[in-house]
Amino acid sequence: MFKKINISKYLAYLFLIVVCLIWIIPLIFGIATSFRSQTEVVSTGFRLLPVNWVIENYAAVLSDTSTAPILRWIWNSIFISTTHTFLVLVVISVTAYGYSRMKFKGRDVLFFTLLGISFFPNVVNLIPSYKIIDTLGWVNTPWAMIVPGLAGMGNIFLVRQFMKGIPKDLDESARIDGASDFKIYYKIILPMIKPVLIVCALFSFTGSWNDFLWPVIVYTDVEKMPVTAGLLLLQDVYGNYSMIGQLMGSALLAVIPTMLLFFFAQKYFVQSLDLSSGIKG
Amino acid sequence: MYNKNKLAPAFFIGPHIILFVVFILIPSLYGIYASFTQWNLVSDPVWVGLDNYRTILFNKESSFSSEFYNGMKNTLIFVGISVPVMIILPLLIAVSLEHKDLRMKNVFQSIVYIPGLISISAATLLWSLIFNRQLGVVNNLFGSDTVWASTQPYAWITIFVITTWAGIGGNMIIYRASINGVSKDLYESAEIDGAGKIRKFFNITLPSIRFPLIYTMVMTTAGSFNVFAQPLMMTQGGPGQSTTVLMMYIRDLAFSHGESIAGIASAMAVMLGLVILVVSALQFYLMSRNAS
Repeated sequence: MFKKINISKYLAYLFLIVVCLIWIIPLIFGIATSFRSQTEVVSTGFRLLPVNWVIENYAAVLSDTSTAPILRWIWNSIFISTTHTFLVLVVISVTAYGYSRMKFKGRDVLFFTLLGISFFPNVVNLIPSYKIIDTLGWVNTPWAMIVPGLAGMGNIFLVRQFMKGIPKDLDESARIDGASDFKIYYKIILPMIKPVLIVCALFSFTGSWNDFLWPVIVYTDVEKMPVTAGLLLLQDVYGNYSMIGQLMGSALLAVIPTMLLFFFAQKYFVQSLDLSSGIKG
Repeated sequence: MYNKNKLAPAFFIGPHIILFVVFILIPSLYGIYASFTQWNLVSDPVWVGLDNYRTILFNKESSFSSEFYNGMKNTLIFVGISVPVMIILPLLIAVSLEHKDLRMKNVFQSIVYIPGLISISAATLLWSLIFNRQLGVVNNLFGSDTVWASTQPYAWITIFVITTWAGIGGNMIIYRASINGVSKDLYESAEIDGAGKIRKFFNITLPSIRFPLIYTMVMTTAGSFNVFAQPLMMTQGGPGQSTTVLMMYIRDLAFSHGESIAGIASAMAVMLGLVILVVSALQFYLMSRNAS
C-alpha cells in the first residue's frame, strides 16, 4: 500500500521535472547566448553557458537606434499596454455595474445578445476593423491597439458575475441615504471588486503586450510599433549567424517587463486560481 | 426615487455599447458584406454576389482557390494535432501537481506558466535558435544535421513544439483550479471502495471538471484556427507553402504590398469563421451530451 503511493509520487516528480527541464532549458540557452561573444556564438559544439560572459550584444542592440530601436519599441508597448489596461478597468467596472446593479427594461436580454454576438469568430471582422482604424486616422498610432480591445465582452461577463455576488442591501441603504449611482459605484462597489479587477488587469496587460497579428497589420512605421511587431523585423535585420547574440538580447529585453509584472503580481496569479474556479461545473 | 434618473443606466452601459457597435458589430457585418464584393480597401466595394465564394471554392484554375484549400488544409492539420496536446498535456501536469506529498508545486507551476508571458515573436526567436542547424541545442545534443524549418515533417514539429511550450500554461491553471474545487469527500469514499489512482481520475476527476474541459477545448480550438505567428516566424510558411496557414493568406491578400484583394480575403475569412462556428457548436453538443 505505502510502496504504491511512493511509486506514484516519484512518477509525478519524474514527469514534472522532465517537463520543467524542457520548459526552462530554451530560456537558459537564450539568456546564455545573449551573453556570448560573437566568436563564441558561431563556434560549433554545444555549451549551455558561455565561457566568457560579455555584454557586447546588449551594447550593440541598445546603440542601434535606427534599424532596431528596441527601447523605443519597449516604451511603445509599455504605453499601449498600460493605457489599454487602465481603460479596460474603467470600462468593464462601469459597464458591469450597469448590467448587474441597475434596473432597466430589457437589461439581461441586451447583455446576453451582446455576449452572443461577441462569440462570433473575430477573423471575420479583421479586415473591416483595419478600415475603421484607417478611417479614424489611427493607423500607426497607439490608439489602434488601445481602443478596439475595449469593446470585448469576456471581462465584463466575469466582473458582472462577481458583482452579482455582492449583497444588494449595501447599495440599497446608500440609495435611501440619497447616494447617486455614480457614488455607489465609486465608493461601495469599486473597492469590493478589486480582486477580480486585478486579475482582469493582468490578463489585459499580458494580452495586449503579446498581441501579434493586429500590430503586424496596423503598424508600418518602425518608430511607432510595439515590441512584438518590432521583433518580427529584427528577424531579418539580425537574421545571420554572427548576430544571433543580438537577436537573443533583443528578445530577452522584450520579455523583461511582463516578467517583472509576473513576479510582483505573483500572489494575484494565485488568487486568479480561486476566481477561475467559478467556471467549474 | 428610482425614476428620478431614468437615463442613468445609459451613462453606465452606453459608452461600451458604442465601442461594441463600432469595433465588433459593424466590422463583423461589414466583413460578411465585403465577402460578396470586389474590394481593394480604398475605393467602395462593388457587389459581385457569390463570385468570391465560387472562385475560392470551385475555380480550380485560380490561385485563390489553391491558396484557400492549402491554407485551410494546413490550418486543420495544425488544429487537429495541437488541440489534443494543448488539452491532454496541461491536464496531466495539473493532475501530477495535485499529488498530496509533492513539494515545490508553485515552482513547477511557474516554470510551465512563464513561457505564456513571453510574446509569441520573442518565443519563436528563442526557438529558432534552439532549432538552428549549426548552433542549436537540438542538433548539437542529438548529433543531427537536420534543417528543421525547411524540411518536413520537421517544419511542422517546430511549430507544434513552440505552440505547446508557449500555450499550455493557461489551460493548466484552469485545470488546477477546477481540480482543487472537486469535493475531497468523493475521493475519500472512492478510496474506501478500493479505487486506484487511475479509476479515481476517470470516475471522479474527469466528470467533475467537465465544464472547464469543454470550455478550454472550445476556446483552444477556436484560438488555434487563428494560428499565424508561429508559421510566419518559424518556417515562413515553408517548405513549399506546406505550413502556410489560411490566416497568412488572408493577411497577404488584404494587406500586403500591391493592390489589396480584400473581397476574396473576406470570403476566406468568412469561410474560416464558419468552420470555427461549426466546430465549436459540434464540440459543445458532443461534450455536453456525453457528459450528462
